[in-house]
Amino acid sequence: MIEMILKRAGTGVLIVLFATTSIFFLAHGIGDPAVATLGPNASPARLQGFREQHGLDQPLLTRYGSYVGAAATGDLGRSFRDGQPVASVIATRLPRTLLLMSMAMSLQLLIGLTLGILAALRRNTWFDTGFMGVAFLGISVPTFVSGPIFLMVFAFLLGWFPIGGYGVSPLDHVGHALLPALTMAIVGASMDARIMRSEMIDTLGADYVRTAKAKGLSPARVVLAHAARNALLPIVTLIGLQLPNLVAGAIITETIFAWPGMGRLVIESITSLDIPVILGVVVVTAVAVQLGNGFADVAVALLDPRVRRGR
Amino acid sequence: MRSTRRSESVAGLVGLGALAFAALLVAVALPDAPEAPRYVGAGSETPRRGGTLVFHHEGDVRGFDPHIAFDELSNIGIKLVYEGLIDYDRDTLELVPRLAEAVPEPSGDGRTYRFRLRPNLRFADDVVFCPQPARATAPCPGRALTAQDVRWSLERMLHPETGSPGVTFYELIEGVEPYRAGQASHVAGLRVLDERTIEIRLARPDQTFLFAMAMTFAYPVAREAYAFHGAEVRRNPVGTGAYRLERWEPGVEVHFTRNASFFIEGEPHIDRMVFVLNLDRRAAVMRFRNGEIDHIHRQTPADYRLLMSYPAWAPYREEHPKTNIWGLGMNCEMAPFDDRHMRRAVAFALNTARWSRARAGRLMLTGQPIPATLPGFDPDLPGAHRFDLSRAREEMRLAGYPNGYPEPLTLTMSDGETARFYGELIQQDLRAIGIEIEIRQVSFPIWLQQTGTRRTVLMALQGWNMDYPDASNFLDILFHSRSIHETESENKAFYANPEVDRLLDEARVERDRARRLSLYREASRIIVDDAPWGFAFSDKAMEMWQPYVRNFRPHPVWSSFFRDVWLDLPRRRATEADFPSRAVPALLPFGRRP
Repeated sequence: MIEMILKRAGTGVLIVLFATTSIFFLAHGIGDPAVATLGPNASPARLQGFREQHGLDQPLLTRYGSYVGAAATGDLGRSFRDGQPVASVIATRLPRTLLLMSMAMSLQLLIGLTLGILAALRRNTWFDTGFMGVAFLGISVPTFVSGPIFLMVFAFLLGWFPIGGYGVSPLDHVGHALLPALTMAIVGASMDARIMRSEMIDTLGADYVRTAKAKGLSPARVVLAHAARNALLPIVTLIGLQLPNLVAGAIITETIFAWPGMGRLVIESITSLDIPVILGVVVVTAVAVQLGNGFADVAVALLDPRVRRGR
Repeated sequence: MRSTRRSESVAGLVGLGALAFAALLVAVALPDAPEAPRYVGAGSETPRRGGTLVFHHEGDVRGFDPHIAFDELSNIGIKLVYEGLIDYDRDTLELVPRLAEAVPEPSGDGRTYRFRLRPNLRFADDVVFCPQPARATAPCPGRALTAQDVRWSLERMLHPETGSPGVTFYELIEGVEPYRAGQASHVAGLRVLDERTIEIRLARPDQTFLFAMAMTFAYPVAREAYAFHGAEVRRNPVGTGAYRLERWEPGVEVHFTRNASFFIEGEPHIDRMVFVLNLDRRAAVMRFRNGEIDHIHRQTPADYRLLMSYPAWAPYREEHPKTNIWGLGMNCEMAPFDDRHMRRAVAFALNTARWSRARAGRLMLTGQPIPATLPGFDPDLPGAHRFDLSRAREEMRLAGYPNGYPEPLTLTMSDGETARFYGELIQQDLRAIGIEIEIRQVSFPIWLQQTGTRRTVLMALQGWNMDYPDASNFLDILFHSRSIHETESENKAFYANPEVDRLLDEARVERDRARRLSLYREASRIIVDDAPWGFAFSDKAMEMWQPYVRNFRPHPVWSSFFRDVWLDLPRRRATEADFPSRAVPALLPFGRRP
């Protein structure tokens, strides 16, 4: 188990380093950040001052070395746009995105797993066909289509949710996150429901479930403790794989719903060529995705002794 | 396998059925979107105090340090917290006094200006005025603003360590160069005569100087705030404006509260301002129509058309041209645009009326370099560019290409859908006179870099937004040969005409306003004749406000400017009597919101 975690951590570090390096060189090739930040009215002396202040007059490889060295100690530099430490900019935005993503993930699992189990239990009934049809629809409609429609219908016309934004108090934040989280959850929930249904159908027909029934266990215990636990394995792996999609979904959803998190930050920083913030977001996102995948791997190992023992 | 496929097909069909059913439900059960304001005012006709005004912008603010921030959104907050010595009048764009008692007249040689502050000006209350700011739990009374503060603020802005983007506007003050080089501890041209008087001496006469003094870079700030907060003053501004910054949640909202010691008795009328940030413009319009936001200034084309079609909103919207200019810039140093006839052919071939139609009429068409909102604009300027195909063909003939230009020309555009849209319009227009265009789209930073580099970009869609409301801010920067550099050139058409240079230099020092404007008109006429740009349009903006927001009129320079505005409170839910229902009945007779 420890060996597996160490291997996973090593791969994760390499992936983060590769992502950061690629984006570092790509971002510096887009254009002159001095002009992008100060605008066309800035005098040549001011532009030169900006370049010197941010080390942009240094050779690219020297800059790369300094960046990686500083990043390794937790110093992600300062934003070109407003001079704030990138770490503090991200520290403000990250919790907001984590709140949105955790609510989206919770809703996704709640809806997806419940519908998957119910559909498997009522296999080949109208309920099953109907819900799987809706799940099919959920997969087919991307967030950038469903988001504006939900905003228009549920927030503006029906007034059930706030019309975008973040709110001012913790409870308010949760209230504002509901509709965007639901929008993000739908695609994942539809996928989870379909997989959970087929896994449950397989598991419900297995010998050990028949044995559990024969031993007189209650139907709920048979379904939840025996069948669902084993059917969950591929879902846990899937959650790890869905994390990058969730991050990408957050960028779109945050833009549609004016949620001031990492997704909006990345769009704002790309638009203004704020390279330190772009890189900071890449580093933090890559680390988060690697951690998420790592946790999913460990969770699978804990659920499945065969994985744990390396079989 | 077959049964799985069949089951998936059935599931798909059920899904489609569910979608159709849901769409039907939506159509039947949803209430109509409101076409009239939801709330109206109490009906008072005299200004009253109180209330909260909520307004919106799509982006984020960078900070509230007036020496550093120079973007539209930051300036909105800066205008609330700080006040200038002078300002631009909303109706005439003439300079009017604010903290100063009067707009100063230049001395006989045109180089010296003496500003006298009003009596009893005070900074807003803040912890920085407490004996021990770090331990203060409540704001202490703000101290008096003096001429020393004005000098300290200007010197702080001019200091190289501040890194102010506004320095270029004030370099003509005597002694700025040695001060910035570290050879002098003060700027020699800034002299404090007494507690309320400061004299500013210029190295040479310049009629644009007072416009620069009305820019936010010249606003007096409290030095105690810089001593206590350092660079973090951007989050903790202390000024003499109508409001104090109360709370700033980055990327979300900024709250301002009334400054009780504001120098104008009884102002401001509104107790609190809430600046909603980063909301998508579609969401902002929805909130506005729900009565959650009191003022909006930008809409998607679809929302714009809808809102323009609702008669009940007509008294509460105003569409106005912005003080900017857009056109097709042609590089006068590169063939074939080193030939004036070629440039004129292009300028007359641009069918800008068609562009405007394609943009839902949101363009104010023009054919000259001075925007229509500025003094110096001449509605009857001879030769102003207007679409004229026969004239364009004649110019092609004079350029030696009666049958069209033999090879394709490259048009460099920045990225984005709008740029591509204009690129394609230009491509179609120029095809009519036998010029084939290849569109090349690059990122905005690359676009800025390349268009500013000599002999690099042949043609590009150019635009310029005003820094201050004077013709010099357009003509000097875009068309004076002094603005040509090897790289980072502001004159991106690389246009040089000694006669235009002479007229612009003369206008810069001319004290007679009428003569000054006639010099700019003459320069405009020559520029239009030489056609370094095919002048096309200024953008239009539509601002909307709720019926209970009273006395609001858009300002041609400042965005979201609420001076003199008051709220007619308490607001109440609108009734059928306020706004009679629409003439065309809804498709379905039920499901209406009460």
